[in-house]
Amino acid sequence: MKRRRFLQLSAVGGTIATIGLSPTPSRANSTTTETNFELTIAPANAEMIDGTMVYTLQYFHGFDNPSPEMRVREGKQITVTVTNNDSQPHGFIIRGVAGSYIHTMQPGQTGTTTFTAPNGGTYLYLDHYKGQLNRLMGLHGAFIVEPEGDGKTPAGSETPYSVADHNPQLQALFDAFGNHPRFPGDRWRAGDLRREKLWIFSQVDPTLNERVAAGELVDPASIPDNFLPRYFTINGLSGFDTANHHLEDGNAAHDGRAGRIMPSGKQGEPCLLRCINAGLATHACHIHGNHCFELARSDYKFRTEISSNIYEHDTWELLPLQRAELLLPFERPPDIPLDRWPPVEEPFPLRYVMHCHFELSQTAGGGNYPQGAVTHWQMTDPL
Amino acid sequence: MFDWEDTAFGEEITYSTFGCDVFKADPQTPDRLEPDVHIYREGAEKLDRIAPDGRRIRFWTFRDTDPAAPNQRVTHPAPEIRVTQGQIVHTHLTTSTGPHTIHHHGIEPTTANDGVGHVSFEVGDGYTYQWQPARAGSFFYHCHRNTALHFELGMWGPLIVEAPDQGDGKKRLYEDGPTYDSEMTWVAHAVDPRWHLIQDHDAGLCGLDVGLNRYEPKYFMLSGVWGNRAHYDPTTLIKAQVGERVLIRLLNASYTILRVKFTCPIEIVAADGHSWGRETWCPTTRRVPANTVLELVTAQRYDIIVEPTKTGHFPVFMQFRHWITNKVHDNGKGQLKAKVRVT
Repeated sequence: MKRRRFLQLSAVGGTIATIGLSPTPSRANSTTTETNFELTIAPANAEMIDGTMVYTLQYFHGFDNPSPEMRVREGKQITVTVTNNDSQPHGFIIRGVAGSYIHTMQPGQTGTTTFTAPNGGTYLYLDHYKGQLNRLMGLHGAFIVEPEGDGKTPAGSETPYSVADHNPQLQALFDAFGNHPRFPGDRWRAGDLRREKLWIFSQVDPTLNERVAAGELVDPASIPDNFLPRYFTINGLSGFDTANHHLEDGNAAHDGRAGRIMPSGKQGEPCLLRCINAGLATHACHIHGNHCFELARSDYKFRTEISSNIYEHDTWELLPLQRAELLLPFERPPDIPLDRWPPVEEPFPLRYVMHCHFELSQTAGGGNYPQGAVTHWQMTDPL
Repeated sequence: MFDWEDTAFGEEITYSTFGCDVFKADPQTPDRLEPDVHIYREGAEKLDRIAPDGRRIRFWTFRDTDPAAPNQRVTHPAPEIRVTQGQIVHTHLTTSTGPHTIHHHGIEPTTANDGVGHVSFEVGDGYTYQWQPARAGSFFYHCHRNTALHFELGMWGPLIVEAPDQGDGKKRLYEDGPTYDSEMTWVAHAVDPRWHLIQDHDAGLCGLDVGLNRYEPKYFMLSGVWGNRAHYDPTTLIKAQVGERVLIRLLNASYTILRVKFTCPIEIVAADGHSWGRETWCPTTRRVPANTVLELVTAQRYDIIVEPTKTGHFPVFMQFRHWITNKVHDNGKGQLKAKVRVT
């Protein structure tokens, strides 16, 4: 069995950028919003879960932060500056965000745009030049907008959405946490990374990456019929790497890249799941342990639609380029016998997987189940 | 002290225990209660079936090994599990060919009873899963070992949680929920014959490329019935009378994007085993006009009420589409027709 030797992603022909095992793990869990982002496009070799090295393209923020998460506050003036250090032209756009477009940049060129941050939600930025090609090569990431005033309901519950977008159903749900017999515990908390996770799904077909690495000008229209992904990633990671194992204390669960993926908390600490599909394959996100509330989903014009009839799902569809936001309630897993809650002989944390149910996505290199698009969440304590 | 040897509760989780060398154990059921109902399943049992084109296809399945009803025949799909909300259920799994698990999909018990090896354990010889369904609705169960393969080869069956009797003689999907007179479980699934030639339970687990990222189904089935028979086979044909309320439990168990078009109006009253129209955040069910296309990705379920207002034949068209190209599988042949016949 091949095993990846160490987690790294290196800029081709130069600086080595280590990711995954961040030298200074962020222990602060409160979110930070910014207004000015300077990105650089560069090739980078990424190591897949089975040790295979794959040529990718990345937006770097600084020299060691590929595919950065950009987080802003609703209504702020945002400036994005992108420098293209690759040998091919590239662009930049945030789907669904007016004014975010940067025209194609030739190698060595810099482009910039300034726009007003839209209403609260999860968005996908990507390189639109040559259709889906560069997005599949790795040029994509999350653009997250926090609502003004923490999106509070009239009853004072924080939400991830701007008040102008609220409906009574959304408010009823967020007001129910901590106030409803089914949801004892805490409300959802804005601005706390322990209460929101990011899952950007994507897929890698190394033959496509090899062709780009060799300098071939790939016709994007030819991609879908020939795309045979061998690696399936969440935030660039697969399988074992998508969760923090061997936790000594509760806080470490949220550290690093795996901590951005793996929800962890006590019963009654609801967690927002920001789901994005940056790839070409449709995903069927399936979660164990709790059903999730589907709050919002983007439509075919990339607009966010907040649901006026909030369904509880254990499986939800995620089309290519689609975003969906769900709330994982962290409620007592409902089918544990009532007389055995909390369990005594079985230890906490209770761990439950989330995986795509198109099980092809659970493979790596044609086998290696379950080293694909899977993670898990954990309930560390009962109330 | 409870013995968690050789499980994720008692050992270190490593890259190796994640997939290649996953935990295998037969612990006692933790926090055990006296059950109200016993379910017995043994797997993997093998069953060869002849496709409409004469090809022999080998399926894997679970057999019902209830000692009170011995010598039950092997079926594909695996036999339904049917219990009542609130019962303490013990699902007894025994394995006949290497490790397996049962994951009760949509049921949410403790980790040890959830059937996922890399966060708990896979079952070496036998284990009793304990759960107490809190909600009535439509679920399913399947093996969660090397799932890509074991699920596709047939190690799954429907799981129905019935609502408690409310004393008025009416059947309901869930407590105080919609009533129905008869019910049908429609599970769409598919077969890639290349996969069914793989007889190694652990194919690919330790790094070998066995092509489990590639899926090219050639046979399209409904609840175990070959697609060409689905519109008249008694297993899948819905026979109803005007004014009768039929509950359809619809599941996509294929690795395809399933499109379903009813040619009569329907009402969706639940999804994934959770009711619609009963909570302030989900106030309504969904009435769907005839000829609307529903889309279900793998493992999604809808509970649907059909209440015919006129006699006739109402076909239900299902298309199996590729997860990347969105084209209908098998060069457009990935389709089947089911039917609601109203007299």
